[in-house]
Amino acid sequence: MSKPVTSIKLVLLGEAAVGKSSIVLRFVSDDFSENKEPTIGAAFLTQRVNINDHTVKFEIWDTAGQERFASLAPMYYRNAQAALVVYDVTKPQSFIKARHWVKELHEQASKNIIIALVGNKVDIVDENEEERKVAREEAEKLAEEEGLLFFETSAKTGANINEVFMGIGEKIPLKGPEEEAQGSGLNVTDDQRVNLDSPGNADGPAGACSC
Amino acid sequence: MLSPERRTSMAERRPSFANFAGSHNQIDTMMIPHLAGIEDPLPESTPETVDVLIAGTGLVESVLAAALAWQGSNVLHVDCNDYYGDSSATLTVDQIKLWVNRVNSNSIPSYSNAKLYVSTSIGSDRRYASRDFGIDLSPKILFAKSDLLSILVKSRVHQYLEFQPLSSFHTFENDCFEKLTNTKQDIFTDQNLSLMTKRNLMRFLKFVLNWEQMPDVWGPYRDKSITQFLFDKFKLDKPQVFELVFSIGLCSNIETKVPLALQRIRRYLTSFDVYGPFPVLYSKYGGAGEVSQGFCRSAAVAGATYKLNEKIYSYNPTTQVATFSDGSKVTVTEKVIVSPTQAPEGSQHIPEQKYQVNRMACLVEKDCNEWFTEGESASVVVFPPGSLKSGNKEVVQTLILGAGSDCCPQGTSIWYLSTIEKGSRAEMDLDAALEALEASLLRESSTEITQNDDIVQISDDGRPIINSVRLGQSFKEYMPRESIQHLMKLSYTQFTSTPPFDVVNPALFDNDALNNRANSDRKFIPNASDNGVLYTAMPSSEISYDEVVTAAKVLYEKIVGSDDDFFDVDFEDEENEMQNGPGPVPNNISYENAIDDDDEDADMGMQGDDSAEFVGKMEI
Repeated sequence: MSKPVTSIKLVLLGEAAVGKSSIVLRFVSDDFSENKEPTIGAAFLTQRVNINDHTVKFEIWDTAGQERFASLAPMYYRNAQAALVVYDVTKPQSFIKARHWVKELHEQASKNIIIALVGNKVDIVDENEEERKVAREEAEKLAEEEGLLFFETSAKTGANINEVFMGIGEKIPLKGPEEEAQGSGLNVTDDQRVNLDSPGNADGPAGACSC
Repeated sequence: MLSPERRTSMAERRPSFANFAGSHNQIDTMMIPHLAGIEDPLPESTPETVDVLIAGTGLVESVLAAALAWQGSNVLHVDCNDYYGDSSATLTVDQIKLWVNRVNSNSIPSYSNAKLYVSTSIGSDRRYASRDFGIDLSPKILFAKSDLLSILVKSRVHQYLEFQPLSSFHTFENDCFEKLTNTKQDIFTDQNLSLMTKRNLMRFLKFVLNWEQMPDVWGPYRDKSITQFLFDKFKLDKPQVFELVFSIGLCSNIETKVPLALQRIRRYLTSFDVYGPFPVLYSKYGGAGEVSQGFCRSAAVAGATYKLNEKIYSYNPTTQVATFSDGSKVTVTEKVIVSPTQAPEGSQHIPEQKYQVNRMACLVEKDCNEWFTEGESASVVVFPPGSLKSGNKEVVQTLILGAGSDCCPQGTSIWYLSTIEKGSRAEMDLDAALEALEASLLRESSTEITQNDDIVQISDDGRPIINSVRLGQSFKEYMPRESIQHLMKLSYTQFTSTPPFDVVNPALFDNDALNNRANSDRKFIPNASDNGVLYTAMPSSEISYDEVVTAAKVLYEKIVGSDDDFFDVDFEDEENEMQNGPGPVPNNISYENAIDDDDEDADMGMQGDDSAEFVGKMEI
């Protein structure tokens, strides 16, 4: 019997160049996730991690640049169970933007979304404390007020990156084995969802991935 | 013509992420592949030069944008609205209110005559919130075997969406609904069909799956109506003919020509059991509006730039500069593609929109579960010609969505009605269909039903059967005391250049000055703001997505020179979901197809049992 797998849709938000993608790339390609190499489709990055007796499969959505001109689609927030709101500890402007994204998430996303506030690039501060422009206390205060997880990370050194995702994974309510759709013959799961990757007939639509 | 090989595709240019990830702990931000989905350094302004500018984020435009972006084109995709979807949008009630006002002030070309009622139960601090509802301007269903579904899977856009099954198709006849008899098993167990009818029906169903190979059967009827063909050649009775033509074939009227109708009937039958015992699917949270967003996201991942609230002011094909209403400009090296709804002021080239689709959308305070197959949240109800008291000549097609679709809250449903009938006749037909739906719903949800001995029949083996056909008839005289609570009622006329139940005509795109510079004088109208612009087609009356890919491909070929590499992307495989099993489960299961072979019915029964048992084994 395999471990139950829970999929978590996680969305990334934050000003340009704060290191959103570096955090994710560090997470999906680092050694600690013993599982396997990450894969990329057009859809999103995925990474599995084992938390206690469960496997959590993160489906990580990037904004794909659609936030640039206030053109992020409702689809982006829909059913997101977790969000990373990233800022750069050396750039105060990016923290202001982070406040904006937290507000936006509370308005647009589902009510029980788990939000992690992530101050990135602490490696720069570690070298020279004068570079710090966003006080740790200020961010902790925001996290407390808004009920967010809070981490300071360095995608460059890998510091605290795993903790962000493990922290989120531990807060997500995990499915019991009986709720797993795996192995049931029909392609329709309990929530009526049809899996388009699995045509019931061998002569299904061309191009269908049946791996 | 441009060469189809003018540039390498995005898939080819993109560094392999797998190789990149292989170098553990060597991560350096400089090594991040150039792909917007992973992140680029983002510019603060829209690009100065692009290959293609697309205005309007409707479904055809969005599929086109994604196809072009993955092919390697530099695409700027804008929409004058503050939402995605344009003519395919899924809107909240508040957005519908604004939309209706704009239609009635003539500020959205291709729509007219919008009427709206909204109950006071919807609003802030009321029973329902505006955003509890997702209302489609162009409701669509997705056949399980169709080109859009193939593209959705190939592009991986399906991973952004959730699809649900729809197997309930009802035909409205004699003032009641008849549930469709659409599988071999249904036909043989249906007690209302005579043996002769069953035989004739089976004969037709076998024929239609390979009809093109049997021109001797249908050839003489090539230009005749499908109804005449079915009466003459297969001796079918009117109820069966109407089911085949209108519910299975989703044709518009009794004059529909034989080849078109046969192709449409087959579409339903071959889609059945591809993913399970249902022919069509629909997307959760909204239809075409949701699918549009998925393709836009895919295009953005491939590098397309998105900007809402951006309206084209003019395009100058000589300088190749497009100007927006906010004063910004972009140089477009190849083509400007514009939805008719987003045409600039002073446009003179919008293709004639001579076909009407009259649509109605009602939010109803009833769950309508009696119309859905168990475990589903949607159904299609078809009103054939002559079935309504308005004496309708054209069919009225209805899509019902329940709360399980997440397009509306618990205890409510959305009813979409449409017809290709025109003007006031269309309004009468839609109102009559709405009335028939309401009357039927009140009858069927009445609590008295099961206590009436006339309705509960006892079958041969002693089991009670509640016959829905008789239900309808028996309560024909029943006057409902209760009435149906409308939360919203919207009706409007939409115009399109695509003929009913046909696909987009490539001639539509002949306003193509850039490709025909030699004779472009003829095509230039002085002072027109849209010289050289290519217009897309508005959504047609087609209730399925079947026209969409064709329309996008025609435009793609106009731009790229060939449609050979339309979505020719080879994504690295997603991880195997069935890691621990020896092989993929679905391939090993043989679904009983609706009617795809010559086996006797006894054999079919056996097959069904086998596969059910097999499923059980796989679960261990």
